Parts: sequence; structure tokens; C-alpha cells
Amino acid sequence: MIYLIAIWLLQDFVQVFLMGFFIVPNIYLMLLLMMSLLPATRKEKQIILIWAAFAGGLIWDFRWTNLPGMTAALNAGLVAAACFLWYKIPAQGRTVVFFTFILIASILISGFAHFALWTVPSQVALRQFFVQQFLGVPLVIVFSLIYWKVSDRNV
Amino acid sequence: MNILDRELRPWLHGVISVLLGFCVLWAMITFPELHNTFVDGVNNILYYPEKPAIELRDIVKYSSNWVLERSSLRERVTKLELQNRAMSEELQKAGIKVPVPKEGNVTAKITLRYPDDWWQGFRIDKGSSDGIKEGAAVTSEGFLIGRVIRVDRNYSWVQMITSSSFLIAAAVDETRDLGVINGDDRGNLTLLYVPEERKLKNGMGVSTSLMGRHVPPGIPIGRVIGAKESKDGFLPISIQAGAHLTQLYSVEVYSGGDKIE
Repeated sequence: MIYLIAIWLLQDFVQVFLMGFFIVPNIYLMLLLMMSLLPATRKEKQIILIWAAFAGGLIWDFRWTNLPGMTAALNAGLVAAACFLWYKIPAQGRTVVFFTFILIASILISGFAHFALWTVPSQVALRQFFVQQFLGVPLVIVFSLIYWKVSDRNV
Repeated sequence: MNILDRELRPWLHGVISVLLGFCVLWAMITFPELHNTFVDGVNNILYYPEKPAIELRDIVKYSSNWVLERSSLRERVTKLELQNRAMSEELQKAGIKVPVPKEGNVTAKITLRYPDDWWQGFRIDKGSSDGIKEGAAVTSEGFLIGRVIRVDRNYSWVQMITSSSFLIAAAVDETRDLGVINGDDRGNLTLLYVPEERKLKNGMGVSTSLMGRHVPPGIPIGRVIGAKESKDGFLPISIQAGAHLTQLYSVEVYSGGDKIE
């Protein structure tokens, strides 16, 4: 839980620092997805992580989005959907590649949902959206590598 | 056992949390006061953890812009000094006593501007402890950009001129035609209630008219860029804001006007 709080604060810190230039990728969601899809994570812990996603998203909404509940619903829904999908496929398919696919899909859905609700001029919003996704690429690689290392140790 | 097993299904918790998220969204839209309370609470809690980031951001921003800003400000100061001297000379010739300015502006940084409320408002880092008052005019580069609508001790919320709920009396500089400036939540401004027989030309300036103790008259707002379709005998006039409303980082808040009622 301490990691979640630390990453949430880090995301907030980076967003404050970059405010007006671009929007920070959803690092908190990436960490939640990684933690919930690790082989050692049990259902009880996944449920805790879903509610942590909700709480973190709600506080983020109050701080940054002016649509309180939207990021909370998106974060929690995406973590729950990722867990559901993860256990619907055979164990052999639960690879780091599939994890990366889930990670990319989740941050794209999360980013696009926010983008669709902005009232900034479309060109500015589009640039912000693309920069946000572009900044997310190295983070996806880092989280995939961590996942690969940690899951390898657990097998 | 079956119920317990169901309770342990993550997807079920996912569905509940999504529904709860939408309930929160509905509640916050329905009760804006509750929303404001939560927003202020979260912002107060995060004030100290975020302080280093704000300081760091300012250091980076101001050090990178320092050289550019310095040269442009020096040019501007020289220009203003020359204008001021010329005006003083004219006033002296005309025998008009130049009043000593009693009011000032408070410079404030923008600490929050929601992307989904881009044209409606933002938060600044100065509040009642810095002399900010509700209703005070907010300017950028000398142009009106909004008005303070909520004041806390250390921060305030500003309603932008582009907000659809913003209404302010304004006058066309060249013709002294009076109207009301209104936004549309999309970044556009319109001067309402100008009689359709009035022929306003593109490029004419629009400034505030005397409307309250915290919004002095004569603050430039923007320029006329065209007329819309006539309605009920009035011609809505499109106005281009003078300030760069998409590039706001710091603003000036009018802190005078206490003596005029």
C-alpha cells in the first residue's frame, strides 16, 4: 500500500511540475495493473487493489479533473476488467506480452476518456493527448520489465 | 459459501466501484457546494506535499524565461515611461492635477486550471490574506480575463470572461456604445445589447464600463472582430480577447476600489 501512496504522490508531484505543458500519464493505474496481475496476487488482494484504484482516482478527480468519480470509475473498472480478462485466458497465455497489451489498452482507454471530455481547443487537446501517450511509452516498458522480473521470480 | 465466493469476485467489485463512481459524479454535479468543499479539502491536504513541486517549477520556469522576459519588460517599461511623461506634460499644460494612485494589483500564479473547465475558470495562489476580494477584476498583460468569484485565505477561484455565466458591462472605446460581454464556454466572446443600427467596425477596442467597486472602468478587454446575426433589434458583436487566454501562467488581481461604493 505504501508503494501505491508513493506513486500517487509522485504522479501528483510530476503533474504539478508539468502543469500547463502536458498531462502526466496514469502511472498509478499502471502500478495497480502490475500489482493485480502478478502471479502471486490473490483475489482478496485484487479486490483491495480495485478499491485502491477507486480511492486514488477519486482524489485525483478532486485535485485535477473537475469530474469527480470519472477517474475513480475508470481506474477501478479497468483494474477489474484486466483481472477478469487475465483469468479468462489459459495460464500459458498469461505472459509479459499479454500484460503489456493490457497496460497499453488501459492507458489508452483512460487517456481517451479524459480527452473526450475536455473543452480545450481540439488541436491543443489532441497534442496533450498524444504527448501524454508518448510519455507513457517508456513507463510501459519499465512496468513490463518489472513485471517480467517479478513474475519470473514467482514462477 | 456461494455468496462468500461471489463476494470475492473482483469483477463484481469492479462493477460496484464503477457504479459508485457515476453516483459520485452525479452527486457532485447536482450539489456543487459539496463538490467545492471536497475540492478545497483535497487541495488543502495536498498543499504541503505539492509545495516543493511548485517551487521547483517556478525556479525552472523563471530561470529559463528570465533573459527573454527581462529584455521585453525593459522595452515595455521604457515605452510606458515615455507615454507617462507625455501624458503628465499634457495634464500639466491643461492644469489638471495628477492624482496619486491609491490602488494596486496583486500578482498571482495559476495553480489549477481544469482541462474540462478550460474556458470557465481557474484557481490562483493568492487569497484574502493577500488582499484579494470577491468580485475583483483579474487581468493578464493589461487585458481583463475574469473576475474573482470565491476567496479563501490562501487561494481564490477566478471566473473567466469566456464562461457562459460571466456578464460584465463594457463600452466600445471609439463610439462609447454600451453593452454586456458574455462568453460561451468555448473560448468566444460576444458583446450583447448593441442596437443594430450602430455600425461598429472591426478593430475597435472594447473596455470595461463602471460596474462595481472591484472592477474599475477602462480596463481593455479585446477588439471587435465582426457582427453576428441580428436578434430582437440588437446586434451581437464578436470580440477577440486581448489576452492570450490559452497561455495563462500568472495574472494580476485588482486590489483597489474599497473607497468607491
